[in-house]
Amino acid sequence: MPKPTELLPGTLDMLILKAVSLRPLHGYGVLLRIAQISGNALQIPQGSLYPALYRLERQGLIAAEWGESDNNRRAKFYTITAPGRRRLKEETASWDRLAAAIAAAMNAKPSEV
Amino acid sequence: MLTRLRATIVGLFRRDRFEHDMAEEMRFHMRAYADDLQCAGVSPQEAERRARMEFGGVESLREDCREAYGFQWFDELRQDLRYSGRQILRAPGFSAAVIVSLALGIGANTAIFSLMDAVLFRTLPIADPTSVYYLAHRSATDSSSSSNYPLLERYRSTDVFSGVTAYSGETFTVSTADGRERVNGQFVSGNYHDVLGVPMVLGRGFTNESDRPAGQPPVAVISHAYWERRFARRQDVIGQTLTIGGRAVTIVGVTVPDFHGLDSGYRTDITLPISVNVLDEPGFLGDREGWTSLSIIGRLAPGVTEGRALAAVDAIFRRFWWEPENAWARDPRSPSEFGLLMPAGKGSSWLRQRYATPLRTLMGMVGIVLLIACANVANLLLARASARSREVAVRLSIGAGRTRLVRQFLTESLLLAGVGGALGLAVAVASSGAILSLFDTGQSPIRLDVELNGRVLAFTIAIAILTGVAFGLVPAFRATRVDLTQALKEGGNVRRRGRLAVGKTLVVAQIALCVLVIAASGLLVRSLRNLRTFDAGFQRDNILLFNLSTGGPSFTPESRAALYEQLDQRLRRLPGVAAVSFSSRSPIDNSAETRGIVVPGFQAPGRHGVSAYVVTPDFFQLFGMRLLRGRGFEAMPRAGAPNVALVNEAMARFYFGSSDPIGRTLRFGTEQEFSTIIGVVEDSRHEVLREAAPATVYTPFWQPAKGLDGTSDVRGRVTVEIRATSSIEALEASVRNEVRALSKDATVWYIRTMQQQLDAALIRERLLAKLSSGFGLLALLLAFIGLYGVMSYRVARRVREIGIRVALGATRGMVLGHVLRETFGVAVAGLVIGLAAALGTTKVVSAFLFQLSPRDPAMFALVAALLLVTALVAGYLPARRAAGVEPMQALRSE
Repeated sequence: MPKPTELLPGTLDMLILKAVSLRPLHGYGVLLRIAQISGNALQIPQGSLYPALYRLERQGLIAAEWGESDNNRRAKFYTITAPGRRRLKEETASWDRLAAAIAAAMNAKPSEV
Repeated sequence: MLTRLRATIVGLFRRDRFEHDMAEEMRFHMRAYADDLQCAGVSPQEAERRARMEFGGVESLREDCREAYGFQWFDELRQDLRYSGRQILRAPGFSAAVIVSLALGIGANTAIFSLMDAVLFRTLPIADPTSVYYLAHRSATDSSSSSNYPLLERYRSTDVFSGVTAYSGETFTVSTADGRERVNGQFVSGNYHDVLGVPMVLGRGFTNESDRPAGQPPVAVISHAYWERRFARRQDVIGQTLTIGGRAVTIVGVTVPDFHGLDSGYRTDITLPISVNVLDEPGFLGDREGWTSLSIIGRLAPGVTEGRALAAVDAIFRRFWWEPENAWARDPRSPSEFGLLMPAGKGSSWLRQRYATPLRTLMGMVGIVLLIACANVANLLLARASARSREVAVRLSIGAGRTRLVRQFLTESLLLAGVGGALGLAVAVASSGAILSLFDTGQSPIRLDVELNGRVLAFTIAIAILTGVAFGLVPAFRATRVDLTQALKEGGNVRRRGRLAVGKTLVVAQIALCVLVIAASGLLVRSLRNLRTFDAGFQRDNILLFNLSTGGPSFTPESRAALYEQLDQRLRRLPGVAAVSFSSRSPIDNSAETRGIVVPGFQAPGRHGVSAYVVTPDFFQLFGMRLLRGRGFEAMPRAGAPNVALVNEAMARFYFGSSDPIGRTLRFGTEQEFSTIIGVVEDSRHEVLREAAPATVYTPFWQPAKGLDGTSDVRGRVTVEIRATSSIEALEASVRNEVRALSKDATVWYIRTMQQQLDAALIRERLLAKLSSGFGLLALLLAFIGLYGVMSYRVARRVREIGIRVALGATRGMVLGHVLRETFGVAVAGLVIGLAAALGTTKVVSAFLFQLSPRDPAMFALVAALLLVTALVAGYLPARRAAGVEPMQALRSE
């Protein structure tokens, strides 16, 4: 198992939006889902998830509702909202551009300079 | 900003819930992770421990969450409030000065605004008040809502209104267990309450009463106030009878508390159908000989625009106006008249028209007073901000944001404004009774409902916030713009010229504003005095008047005449009575009796009228009106003697020019016989104090006035005047006794002195004079505090400098003079600006001035003197303190 990578600043919000866009999740579920969809490559310090969730909720990008977890405990579930979906699309697009640009930059060879 | 506001509101109401949810959510997380670890084979205790450890510091995470959710702002606000509260309590004298200044300023504003609300803004508590209109008419010169019944019937024929009704104000004499009382009331058309949609507390209103007497016993609707006063809110009031004018009427309904009829300022307590009036005046419904006191109201039918309704009303009115039998309505000065719709949703407009300008003027004045108060508070806060500059410097240097500090200063000023505003509300409530009593005078006093409704509260809150921000912002920014090193080095005693410049500028502005208010109030006070004391052509001292009613079936013309004669003699015999007269009306009694006359030999186009009086011979002597030419009336007319009349100078001038009026004749348009003019009486302004004497004709009280139909009657309502040699108040009881001794059926009402009668005609002027002089004093007091505060602060700041000067040989007199000169400089600057501004602005009150120019030099000189004296006093106290500085002490003090 490769060593979990440090998260780039500003990417946590995007990852949370992605995670809850797949299906409604509680906070712990968001952590597990991010680990799962990143192939366990990305690990988020557990507590630091919550300020991000509250910020997104306040911005109206995700909505929260109390429900029942798999083992019948009361848990707060987050779903993505329409503005959240729009934001996710924008962030994904800009991330793709950034990743491509960085990849291109890192692959540059002396002959191309 | 909006999200912040929302978060704050959510924070205020759902803070506990938020905390609870957050804790539960985090607990769930840890438990779920611990469960997963246990599944992977970790022991329960170990799982629990790791879950907690890996989650991180719960408290700091929670704080991060609160901030992320927007609670930080709210928490800081709470901190700021707590901090501000401590600051306010730490300097109680300072805070009290600020709060009292603001409470008086905001209180005065709230009081005037609530008065404006009652007079100008309030709508009637009826169904859809915006679709109700007076069906009035206008001529070239004015508009009027007086109509008559035949016109009402015409309006009922159009379909632009869903209902048309009418009312006519009336004072009823109601029999009670212990005598009679006079009650304000009205006659209304039988669909009145239905058309207006007046909510009822008990019973029913009039929906379908007949306007013609139908033989059934008459019904009445009473007001909530009358129900309370007369029936102690008994539920069984419906079906009870009242005896009104000797006739029994049955109560069928009680209206809601805040409905007083449509005549604004008056309280209608008893409402009767027109049919009751018709019993007394059989010709009323067909009366086409003039406009009556009937006002017609229509409610627009659904979907009908104001324009369409106006077109219909105009067409009907003009057809009516041009009909040959309505020729009386035509006035040569106005070639045509038009129908007019006047909104009735706020009631009749006369009160709004009369008081809109005075109230706006007063509102402007209290606005200025509030500005002066704000300047004071800003100055005090500036002074304190300087004193706190070290604290501010320390906080800035350990990393506090400037916005955060500005916000804290603003919180403090808003808190002060809030407390000031709350106290201001109390001031307004406490003063409303005194203000309302200024209206409550005269024969039909103006009654207003001043209340703290939503509109008034919103106004108060708005001005409190506005003042809080206005006076807090400048000090807040100045205080946080500190040169850190200097501030910390100097131990808080930062000397900054800027602060003093701002302080002095504020005081100059205060004095200038103060001059405006004082100049205006001085003019208004002097005008009121002029009006009350100038020679209007009649005496006003030691005269008692009362109205006497001998209406109803128990009197005949003969018994009335006998009653008047006997009463005349009995009153003359009372101790302290110098003269007694009877008359149809009295000077400045708010009546206007204008009658058309025919003068043989006089030809001029147009409709002419004279002011007509019927008086006993002593009337002139009693009021001190001199007979200029000819002879006066005889005590009793001899039978068969020719009819006579007296005229005043204005009448003689208009009708006879330079020729001699004595011996000429005149006849009232409605009477048969001519009267011979036997004398000319001195002019007096007996109708309107501000206007020149109208042409007036006096006829003798005992002379029969034979109408065109050949009948003559003795007046059932007269005014009796008594001139006393001593205290007139003591006469009041004896007057009532004398009347009661003569007749049980005669009613004495509205006993007043002549001065009271005059005052009732000067309500607007007195309202303006009293309130504006109060506001002027307040402005002066606030400006005094401002000047005193700034000069004291200056002296305190310069103790060291003064000490050096004294050490170098300056005398106490020199120090004293120095401070006084500086105070005077500020005062004169403010005075010059204020006087210049006053020259341009006092004309807004010129409509209320009397025998006084809005730029009266004496008044301006007086204002200047008053302010300079005030400045002298304000400057003297700090100057004396400066002169008392001991050089050694001063030099050691820093």
